[in-house]
Amino acid sequence: MIRKYLREISVGVAYLVLLGLLAFKSPSFFQADNIRQLLVEIVPALVAAVGMTLVIITRQIDISIGSVFSLCAYIAALMAHQGVPVPLAFGTAIGCGALMGALNGLLIATLALPSIVVTLATMVIWQQALAWWKQGAPVASLPAGFHWFGLNQMAGQWIEAIIALLIFLAFATAMRYLAAGRAIYATGSDYEAARLAGIRPKLVTFNVFVLMGILTAAASILNAVIMEKVYPTSGDKLELRVIAAVVVGGVAISGGRGRLIGVLIGVALLGTIGRALIFLHARSEWGATIQGTIILLAVSSDALDRSRR
Amino acid sequence: MSNLLKLSDVTKSFAGVRALRGVCFGLSGGEVHALIGENGAGKSTLIRVVTGAHLADSGTLQIAGQTIIRNSPVISRSLGVAVIYQQPALFGDLTVAENIAIALEPRTAWRAIRWNKRRAMARELLARVGSDISPDAEVRQLSMPQQQLVEIAKALGADARIFIMDEPTASLSDREVEHLFGVIKSLRQRDAGIVYISHRLEEIERIADRVTVLRDGTRVATHPMSEINRAEMIRLMVGRESSAIFPKTQVKPGAAVLELQNVCCNSTGVHGIDLSVRAGEIVGLAGLVGAGRTELARVLFGLTPADTGRIKIQGRTVQIRSPRQAIDLGIACLPEDRRKHGVILEMPVAQNITLSSLPRVSMRGWLSFRRERLIAHALVDRLGVKTASLSSATGTLSGGNQQKVALARWLAIEPKLVILDEPTQGVDVGAKSEIHRLMGELAQRGIAILMISSELPEILGMCDRIAVMHGGTITSVLDREKATQEKILDLALGLSGRKEAVPA
Amino acid sequence: MTQNALNSVTMAGGRSGLMMRLLPMSQQLVVVVLLAIEIIIFSIVGRNFLTVENAFEVIRQNVEIGLLALALTPVIVAGGIDLSVGSLIALCAVVLGMSWQDWGLPLGVAVGVALLIGTAAGLLNGLLITRLGIAPLIVTLGSMSLFKGLAEGLMSGRAPFTHFSTWFNELGNRYLFGFLPEQVLIFVVAAIAFGLLLHRTTIGRTLVAIGFSFDGARYAGVPVCRRLLLVYCLSGLVAGLAAVIYVARVGEANAGAGRGYELYAITAVVLGGTSIFGGRGTVAGTLLALFAIGILRNGLRLADQPAELAGVLVGTLLIVAIIGNKLINQLTDLSAGRTLSIRRERGNPT
Repeated sequence: MIRKYLREISVGVAYLVLLGLLAFKSPSFFQADNIRQLLVEIVPALVAAVGMTLVIITRQIDISIGSVFSLCAYIAALMAHQGVPVPLAFGTAIGCGALMGALNGLLIATLALPSIVVTLATMVIWQQALAWWKQGAPVASLPAGFHWFGLNQMAGQWIEAIIALLIFLAFATAMRYLAAGRAIYATGSDYEAARLAGIRPKLVTFNVFVLMGILTAAASILNAVIMEKVYPTSGDKLELRVIAAVVVGGVAISGGRGRLIGVLIGVALLGTIGRALIFLHARSEWGATIQGTIILLAVSSDALDRSRR
Repeated sequence: MSNLLKLSDVTKSFAGVRALRGVCFGLSGGEVHALIGENGAGKSTLIRVVTGAHLADSGTLQIAGQTIIRNSPVISRSLGVAVIYQQPALFGDLTVAENIAIALEPRTAWRAIRWNKRRAMARELLARVGSDISPDAEVRQLSMPQQQLVEIAKALGADARIFIMDEPTASLSDREVEHLFGVIKSLRQRDAGIVYISHRLEEIERIADRVTVLRDGTRVATHPMSEINRAEMIRLMVGRESSAIFPKTQVKPGAAVLELQNVCCNSTGVHGIDLSVRAGEIVGLAGLVGAGRTELARVLFGLTPADTGRIKIQGRTVQIRSPRQAIDLGIACLPEDRRKHGVILEMPVAQNITLSSLPRVSMRGWLSFRRERLIAHALVDRLGVKTASLSSATGTLSGGNQQKVALARWLAIEPKLVILDEPTQGVDVGAKSEIHRLMGELAQRGIAILMISSELPEILGMCDRIAVMHGGTITSVLDREKATQEKILDLALGLSGRKEAVPA
Repeated sequence: MTQNALNSVTMAGGRSGLMMRLLPMSQQLVVVVLLAIEIIIFSIVGRNFLTVENAFEVIRQNVEIGLLALALTPVIVAGGIDLSVGSLIALCAVVLGMSWQDWGLPLGVAVGVALLIGTAAGLLNGLLITRLGIAPLIVTLGSMSLFKGLAEGLMSGRAPFTHFSTWFNELGNRYLFGFLPEQVLIFVVAAIAFGLLLHRTTIGRTLVAIGFSFDGARYAGVPVCRRLLLVYCLSGLVAGLAAVIYVARVGEANAGAGRGYELYAITAVVLGGTSIFGGRGTVAGTLLALFAIGILRNGLRLADQPAELAGVLVGTLLIVAIIGNKLINQLTDLSAGRTLSIRRERGNPT
């Protein structure tokens, strides 16, 4: 039992140590206000990480999510700015995310192209197209219904956290207790065996990329509603942060293995460090160094554990 | 006797190359129908047409009386076809229970999983094949024979009427083979039909009712087992009389090339190995799968270096920490898994041949393409590798020719000791006898050979001495004259023979 | 074996033998055609496009990314990947500036320190990949963050390093014989060196073997770990070199140097026909793709088109190129043997 959940436990312990340190050095970290802000910061990465987990378990990767994220948020903001009803704007953004995911999925699943190359290409395309389109100008003066979903800040923050939690729980349950979830594991574990078992791995792969697109769009909206202005670069480097969190959470890059609960802890750990550094009076510029070290430590411990067995 | 399966005039090409032409095949209830042929004769393609993994180009396919227009794995399974693939088609990351369940549960996406039910079902099916593997074990941590048993359990659970077994015994121990034959017998009594594919003709003689021989994608013959014998089967498979099957040449052994004293390797469970191999001598390593034979080969080749004990090469004590060192000492090792380890499928024939002897085709690290072609050409000629050119991708060659390329690579280093791990497994009859002939030739030139084989006739036919392994160590070394199949089996099963230290 | 079987083997072999020689070329041919089209179009619509000065300007602007692409070619051929090179440029640039300005080392020595740091960083990647057997994508993703973080941490709260010696700035801006930029010379030397390494030496041959099959190479006695360490060290060294050239050209060392370069470099390598799964790939292909991308950017600029259009086009080209490559592969991939070989491949740690 412990062996099976070793990664979740060790990353969880690391997180508790961090929180313990904060409690000792800087108890003001745990003020409700700060916690809510922290949650809101983590939420978009968590939602995107849920999608990335599915993609990586399918033995694929998607590095275009940063660009998709930027584009979807921008579309939603621009539509809302021009007077389109906010729910319709959000719906359109999610639809765009699904379409962009479907394009990736089509190229990867039906043409059997390597996902890292395809999503590298689509990442560059969306990113440059967006930069070309509006030359980096942010969308400001958003309607009242956009910011915090039209609620006050505190309610908005809670709604954000609840939406993310619901998405997480739904997917975590489905991955364990729904045949569709198991088909994702099977496809990632052995594509050909999945085909022989009557699972349609192409369809599974395609659907996973569509889900990735939808979840990325949802994450981008959860992020956009926090902002006064929506920049066309809001998703820069998101893919790397999310992949890092998923890997730290114990999902194997070789596919077929990993659980969402680990990913939740991974997202929380990497997402807390930046803010924690501020409270620990350290320079926040060192955040990336610490995150890099955590990633390397986590994957190294995995490898050492494997060789000991 | 119901007609379970009927293929008529089935043709299948892969981008212009005919894999099957006009093949007819039938299977009745309660029958074991053996399908034999050399590698590349079209057996696997035929099976894949039945299961729907491939679609036939033309011809008709009837399963359980229904004519199938567009077959698929789902359709064939729903009509009661179950397949046991040669290499288990299992999910390494998933548990045994899930592997079995995925094959058996309905294929709807929005269905809740009941884990306890899955475990119970797995336990019951595994009991039927006489195994106590835990349903919660991850498949990747099982041994090859255990995986094969899971594969069989999976097929049994499908409640199928047509069982297709593609070399099911390839990695099984004799005890497990016996158990499998028991299972086949009970299936047959329940009026199921079994298509049985194997290179082991003695198995086919034991259990088959009918035998169909394929050659080059065509059906050469179908006979009741009672009307055909082993020699006749071989003749039909190769299209000519098989000459002396084991061309053993007598060589007077020279000085010891390899001497092992109490060699142990903790991580792989190999321990207390005492053995010597002399120049010009062929020593066989017999034993069950998992007895430590391949593991011993890996120790000698530096893949998993020995922890304690003494290894001597031509009288000099040496340390072998890596394959590179082994090669520098003149040790060659033909691995068991040809496609994964033996050759690099995508690389051209010539590059595969020179990969382990690059110093011989280069000057201070600079490649000489001319010298490479010369060396490769000479070896291709000497071994009779059938390839269009030296720059053909090795993966486009037939299995037997790939194996010859793998051998050529080791001849290129001009070895003193050659370790052969199942050199003829999955190789067609023609290439097999050529490999045996080559072994004799090498022995005559004073090269020491250590051969691992699960095929007892091969061991008895080719080897001067036979070391039998059991539980990670050598339990006994038999001389050629004294060895019999029964004796070796007894020792391999650990039924007789304490350790009799007989390093010659 | 019967005559019949022999024929079919020969047939399949013959076709694939020809294809083995043509296949790696197919994508390069596509890129050559692309280059030709670009040059024709831009010499019509662009001003001053078809001049020697402009040709060298194209190269000069792309030397840093070009160097990374050269070093990544053997890495990717050996079945690996290195995402950390862009961040490493930042780290090496910062170290260069610090060791010169803060520690008072002579600039020449500081350059040496930067190259050393680059090599050491490559060694770290290589050790984690070979000793611990972690997928290169993950290791270099982590070290990308690590190097970037170190560069940012070292620079936190201070201004970029500037005012380097004149001779140093000239390295990035002087023209030999009046037309040949100095760093282009370095690039040409590096290109020849990597071409020879990959295609004419035993080391290159073993890299190809490792890329096709890690286990297969190991069983053939190839010192796989040493070879992988070498390519990652080279990749780090070249990143250090690119950092030096970058600082010399821009005249400034900061933590933003090399941002996103790794993706441009990987794009060039893959566009040039190197398989992301390893084994197949040539330095010539990488060079062609670099020219195609560089000329596209330069030509669009001279034709007064937005720079982002170049990005969109490069992304699209990348997809078109791999689809084209795939289709050619499918048309020529005749034998069932190859499809089967791919079937149960679990691959090496990629």
